[in-house]
Amino acid sequence: MIPACQRANSGSSYLTMKKKFKRELKSIEQIFDFISVFLEKYKLDDSISFTLNLVIEELFTNMIKYNTESTSEILIELDKKEGNMIVIITDYDVEPFDVTRKKEVDVKAHLQDRRVGGLGIHLVKNMVDKIDYEYKNRESKITLTKRLER
Amino acid sequence: MFDVQIAESGDILLSGRFDASQVEKANAVFDQISQSCVVNFTDLEYVSSAGLGVLLKTQKRLADAGGSLKLVNMNKHIKDVFGYAGFDTIFEIE
Repeated sequence: MIPACQRANSGSSYLTMKKKFKRELKSIEQIFDFISVFLEKYKLDDSISFTLNLVIEELFTNMIKYNTESTSEILIELDKKEGNMIVIITDYDVEPFDVTRKKEVDVKAHLQDRRVGGLGIHLVKNMVDKIDYEYKNRESKITLTKRLER
Repeated sequence: MFDVQIAESGDILLSGRFDASQVEKANAVFDQISQSCVVNFTDLEYVSSAGLGVLLKTQKRLADAGGSLKLVNMNKHIKDVFGYAGFDTIFEIE
């Protein structure tokens, strides 16, 4: 029997799950559970778990920290398409904030010159292969692509 | 489930997942530290930038008084994150 979330796509395997989360820090645990269910359901290698947890937590917490005017829930979609893991995070009723254009962090700075905070997007950029940003109709959509190890 | 405790030896023991929802709990312990100490990562599975922020804030405060944190027994994923953040040059990691 084919799971409800799985469908054929031009003959290749395409697995997907999506869920909306309240914009509060308490949602992080539910997001980790959601990721865990996805990995277990589709028997994906658990080594991707740390990366998924981190990149999604960083972008989710950024959205609730900076998009303070919105009260909408944030949509998280997980897709496995061929050899790639794809994460799509959509925030609604927000101003644009293009994470791909964020200023680089100076990770070689001395301790006294390091600022507390501002590392999240930097970590995300280091842990995925591609980041795309799209803004339309007051919706911010970030798409992350991570190649899965074979 | 995240936990942070100070052992009898004075070492700080971290366990579970240190995410953004746990910063307040971690600060309650790290803010008590006033001299150099060891932070044991043996039972810590995960840390995000929020956790790195707690450690950096503590390291900066201790450095002003001539002290520092020594971080021990990190798993590979956490060590990678410290490397991406450039924290491997501002902390002693063993």
